[in-house]
Formats: sequence, structure tokens, C-alpha cells
Amino acid sequence: MLGMQDLWISAAWLLSIGSAVGCVVYGALNWHYESEEE
Amino acid sequence: MNIPILSAAVIIFLSIMTGLMYLGSRKTKTDNDFLVAGRSMHPWIMALSYGAAFISTSAIVGFGGAAGLFGFSLLWLTVLTIFIGIFIAFALFGPRIRRMSCNLGSETFPSFLGARYQSSALTAYAGMLIFLLMPAYTGAILIGGGRFLYDALGIPYTTGLLLFAVIVAAYVMSGGLRGVMYTDAFFAVVMLLGMSTLLFATYSAVGGIIPGHSGLSAISNLVPATLIEQGHRGWTAMPAFGSRIWWIVVSTMVLGVGIGVLAQPQLTMRFMTIKQPRSLYQAILVGGIFIFFMTGTAFIIGPLSNLYFYQTQGKIAIQVAEGNIDRIIPIFVSQIMPDWFLYFFMLTLLAAAISTLSSLIHVQGTAFARDLVENLGINKLLPGASTRFWAKLGIIFSIISAVTLAFILPPGVIARATAFWFGICAAAFLPTLTAALYWPAATKAGALASTITGSIVSGFGYIFLQEQGAVAVGLVSRLLGRTTLLPFPWTHIEPLIYSLPAATIVLVAVSLLTQRPMAKHLEDTFKKVA
Repeated sequence: MLGMQDLWISAAWLLSIGSAVGCVVYGALNWHYESEEE
Repeated sequence: MNIPILSAAVIIFLSIMTGLMYLGSRKTKTDNDFLVAGRSMHPWIMALSYGAAFISTSAIVGFGGAAGLFGFSLLWLTVLTIFIGIFIAFALFGPRIRRMSCNLGSETFPSFLGARYQSSALTAYAGMLIFLLMPAYTGAILIGGGRFLYDALGIPYTTGLLLFAVIVAAYVMSGGLRGVMYTDAFFAVVMLLGMSTLLFATYSAVGGIIPGHSGLSAISNLVPATLIEQGHRGWTAMPAFGSRIWWIVVSTMVLGVGIGVLAQPQLTMRFMTIKQPRSLYQAILVGGIFIFFMTGTAFIIGPLSNLYFYQTQGKIAIQVAEGNIDRIIPIFVSQIMPDWFLYFFMLTLLAAAISTLSSLIHVQGTAFARDLVENLGINKLLPGASTRFWAKLGIIFSIISAVTLAFILPPGVIARATAFWFGICAAAFLPTLTAALYWPAATKAGALASTITGSIVSGFGYIFLQEQGAVAVGLVSRLLGRTTLLPFPWTHIEPLIYSLPAATIVLVAVSLLTQRPMAKHLEDTFKKVA
């Protein structure tokens, strides 16, 4: 898969991109907290 | 090399850096400004500064070079650094550290732990660990910067190394943490542009994503026999389970650094600098992208350099680098990219080195001033001297130690020295920090015993069990006539694997056996935290 010899490596490649995308989505969903006063 | 272009680029870079540092120094009027940037930083600046402080030349040159040798398996470290180093750190730890440090009035990582557990001994011990052991990591970062200047631009190694040291010491002393974070944010943007360009250029040079991976898979027969014997199965495969290389990659590099990032004093204290605790959620967006393009790029271009070198020179990366993995990335970049990018990449690595170095030096300086000198009452020897005076003195001591170690440490040490520091931090500080934030019943005795256990078991592992550390120190061979105390696999297991559980068990056991903290203290500490 993805030209790799090993599924563990394909998973790492996909998860590294996926986790970065996950951070973007999570950050966007919680964007409004920046302007809230404590 | 075109000297006028290079000079112009460096002058512009240094001018922007000086301007930002001047801005930081103008706003640094109190000890609070110097130590925690006045607790008024924007989450984006915090996230970029956190990322720039985390990603050094070690990550790019050292770990990228290690990926050139071991292959894509290091991408698991990218997964862990984004998930643990960004998501868990920013969403779970960060907001609590910010609120709690405010409740306790703490301005350094050791003083935060000490105040939470009401233990000046814990503050002093944590401060001592930082001040004495962090120079090994700092020295490794200096080596990375000096090595790149030598390989890519021909600047003598000693000159480049000293240049880094002097620039960083001068600007940290003048601008404090505020200046450091402003310049970090600028450096982070430079790094992001440099590394993302390199990622796209590398995939383009090897024919695209899947053709590049397939091409690399097809030359797995070129892996040297000595590496195959140690478990190497090709650059696009995991090492053989339980082999020497598997233990190095999985335990030392992936787990050691991936978990260790959560308890790094220079990173953790950045959470104390933001204005609104919950604005950290927004910082996750910036941090995730940044860390992906830093570590992801390094761990992708490292393995692919083998394919490129094979196609152009008929050799694999470690052969082109003449056996020194720290030279793989600099040589690859200098061959694959046009001259103009080489100048820009030099600035990228310069930015990575300076940003991490400045953060480490700042933490060591503040640990010296706040957690050792003031905490132990040494400041009474010089009445009238301010916290900033002692911090600047600590900064000078730290930079001298780091430069000295940079000349002593052997070649190829960057990734190992980084893993050593991250492993020590995880074992010594992670259980104590986690319990400080999430377990009110954790006691002073439990925290102190855990921190001491974690650091001692780790130190024991590096000196007596792990092969590379034991050989470098040489104590086992002098005492017993052999290289390590125990046979394989102990020789290749990262000490974190056993020191972290040991420290955790000690924390829980001792806390359950000793008196619970006063209810009033806990109420004040956890105010608005839960």
C-alpha cells in the first residue's frame, strides 16, 4: 500500500497526515475560545 | 557559493531578529516579563514558539539522518509528537498548567512543581537536573548547527558553533522570554516555508509519492549486511520485531522522544505565557500543521535520500555521508536543491538551532536564578542582585557548558543526545507533572520520591545498561571488564521503558502511604482548574 513494503509504515504515513488534519479540525471547532474572557 | 547573496540573506535575517528582540526587550520591564513574558502572549505566537523551541537541528539533521539510515519507521515519531506533543499537551495539560501556575504564582517549571507539592526540595532537585543535564541536549543542538554550516557553506565548524553560542546568549539576556518568543515565531515561519518546500521538492525529485516509495522499496536489497543482521528490512518496512534496530527506533526514538515531549521544561513553561487558558485550543491548529511539516518532512526526505543518491551516484545515503548519519540531510539538501534554496535552508536550520537553543538557555538561566540561587538562599551572598542578574549569570554558565560539551561529544551524537534528554525528562517529571494536574491526593513525598527515582533509574540505565551510554562512560568496562551490565536486549532498550513505570509506581505507592496535602492548599491550587 502506498508503495511501502509494510502496512505499519503505510499506517504511519497516513496517520501522520491524519493527525495533523485532526489538529486543524479540532482547532477550527474550538476557535471561539480565544476571545472569551476568563 | 555566492557570497553577496548569502551576506544579504543573513543580514536581512539578523536584522529582523534584532528588531524583534528589541521589541521584546522594550516590553520586558519586570521579572515576570523576563520569566513568563508577562503572561500575555497570543496563542498563535505561543504555538509557533512552542514548535520552534521543540524542533531543532536535532530533529531535522539528526533524526532526519537517522531516518536516512533506518527508514520510514521513524514516521511513528511524527504521529506521536502531533498526538502527544500537540494535542494532549495543548488540550489537556496546557490549560491546567496555565491556570494552576497563576494560582500558585509560579514562573518556572521547577517552582511550579515545588509550589504545587509545597516542596522547596523538589524545586531545587528539578532545577538542578535542568541546570546540570540540559547542557548535553544543548550541546547536541550546537553540533547540528555547526555541522550544517560546515557541510553546506564551508564555514569552519568551530567558528560556526561559537557564532551560534554568542548570538543566542546575547539575545536571550537582552530580551527575556518575550523577545525569545517573538523571534521564535518569526523563525517558525522561516522553518515552515523551508521544510514544506523541501518536502515537495524531494517527492518531485524521486518521481512523486507512490513512485518514490515504490522505488525505495525496490532497492531494499542495497541495505548493508551489517544492518540486515541487526533487523533492518528495508527503508519502507518496520525493523524485525525485537531486533537491535527495532529497539533503537521504537524505544529510544519513537517512545523516548514522543513521550518525553510532554514533560520538557522549556516547552511546558510556554503554557504559562498565554493570556487565556482556553485559547490553547486554537493553538492546536497552528501547532499540528507546524510539527507535521517539521518532523514529517525530515522523516520522509531522510529515507528517500537513499533513492536519490542511488539514482545519481549509485550509492545509498550512509555511504555518501561516509558513515556519519548527521551528514545525510545537509549533503542531500546541498545536492538536490538550487543554490538560492541552500541559502534559505541555511536560514531554516539557523532558525531551528537558535530558537531551540535560546529556549534551553533561557530555561537553564531561570532554573539557576529562581530554583537554585533564590530557592536555596544563595542570593543572600549578593544583596540587591535581581532575579534577572542571576538568570543572566545562569545563561552564561549554561552556554559555556554547552559549548564545552559540543567539542567533547562524539560525531553522530545528535539524535542520541536528544533522546537522552527527552527520556530523562519523561522519567523524572512526567508522573509528577501529570499527578500535579490531575491527582490532588499526590503528596510531597510521593512527588519527590518519584522524581528522584525516575532520574536515578534513567541515569543507571544510561551508564550501566544501554550499550552506547555504557561504552561512552566506560564505568562498566573498568569495573567488570565487559561493555554493559546485562546482555541484549537491555543493551538496546531505552531506559525510559523501565524508568517511567518505576517512577509512576513510586509516586502512587508513596502518595498512598503518606499524608494527603492540606485541603486549603488543594482548594487554592485547583481553583478554576477542573
